[in-house]
Amino acid sequence: MLPYVGRALSNLFRKPATERFPKTDAPEPAKNYRGRLSYDPTKCINCGQCIRVCAPQAMTRTIEDVDSETQKITFTFDMTSCTYCGLCADFCSQHTITMSNDYMIVGTKPEDFMVTGSFLKKKPVAPKFTPEQIAAMKAAAAKKKAEADAAKAAKAGE
Amino acid sequence: MFQKMIDDSMKRSPWIFHINAGSCNGCDIELVSVLTPRYDAERFGFRLTGSPRQADIVVVSGPITLQSRDRMIRTLAQVPEPFCVVSLGSCPRSGNVFKGSYAIDGPLEKWTHVDVSVGGCTPKPEAIIAALAKASAILEEKRKAMRQADKADKEKRS
Ligand code: SF4
Ligand code: SF4
Repeated sequence: MLPYVGRALSNLFRKPATERFPKTDAPEPAKNYRGRLSYDPTKCINCGQCIRVCAPQAMTRTIEDVDSETQKITFTFDMTSCTYCGLCADFCSQHTITMSNDYMIVGTKPEDFMVTGSFLKKKPVAPKFTPEQIAAMKAAAAKKKAEADAAKAAKAGE
Repeated sequence: MFQKMIDDSMKRSPWIFHINAGSCNGCDIELVSVLTPRYDAERFGFRLTGSPRQADIVVVSGPITLQSRDRMIRTLAQVPEPFCVVSLGSCPRSGNVFKGSYAIDGPLEKWTHVDVSVGGCTPKPEAIIAALAKASAILEEKRKAMRQADKADKEKRS
């Protein structure tokens, strides 16, 4: 009997088990919580690895030509499409994507859920060959093909 | 006068109805945990109801599977106006990892109006509470607009 009375009395003066949340700030999530993505376009190299590993295809990449040499690359991450697996952050070799611990992903419009970033990138230089070099390469390829065909024919004839 | 009293008391007790449209149960558990003593949304009047006819806020979770689609539409048709729809988690908005599957027919916007969305897989209870608070504010606006429209209608007729 006595322990119960003690517990009852101590509960009278303890602070409530209910979180005070809307009156206070949102509490910190657990360590390594995976919340809203953050994307740093200054580090991204446009390798596309994040797009490959993402199961729900949460990101869209648009590539526009700014002029003949540079492209504007825009990544958009849709936070209502993401399943918060963290694979993109793990696979990004440049540590461009990190999972923040912001979990208040509440909104009324689709734009509230978009994480976007864009950056400019130089286009890769097109390889330059002289016409003689191209002719030589073509001849080499044709010779190789003829040899292979001959070998196949010889094998079929056996 | 009675109308005002009823409206004022309804402001403080937005009842929730939960539709599981093929959810994995993660979001459903989080929604239930919002009503447990730790987060205790019932102190703001949110209460889970068993019938769509008593609901003010409809919470939909899951990627709208073909099996649940017609039932969801039928249930939504029974909710009295005005009501708010909250999409819970990433699934109803985009299909999440099931995007493009033959078995789902989303997003939820295709079938009803979505007032507030919560991102996350699964959202944290704090985010759900924030979304419900937002939904009840929107509901109040809707109710006000409906009353005004009613009044204008009555004046026109008399
Ligand atoms: S994996 Fe990283 S560096 Fe590569 S495209 Fe994605 S964000 Fe950019
Ligand atoms: S966390 Fe997972 S689901 Fe979200 S964008 Fe990255 S890879 Fe895609």
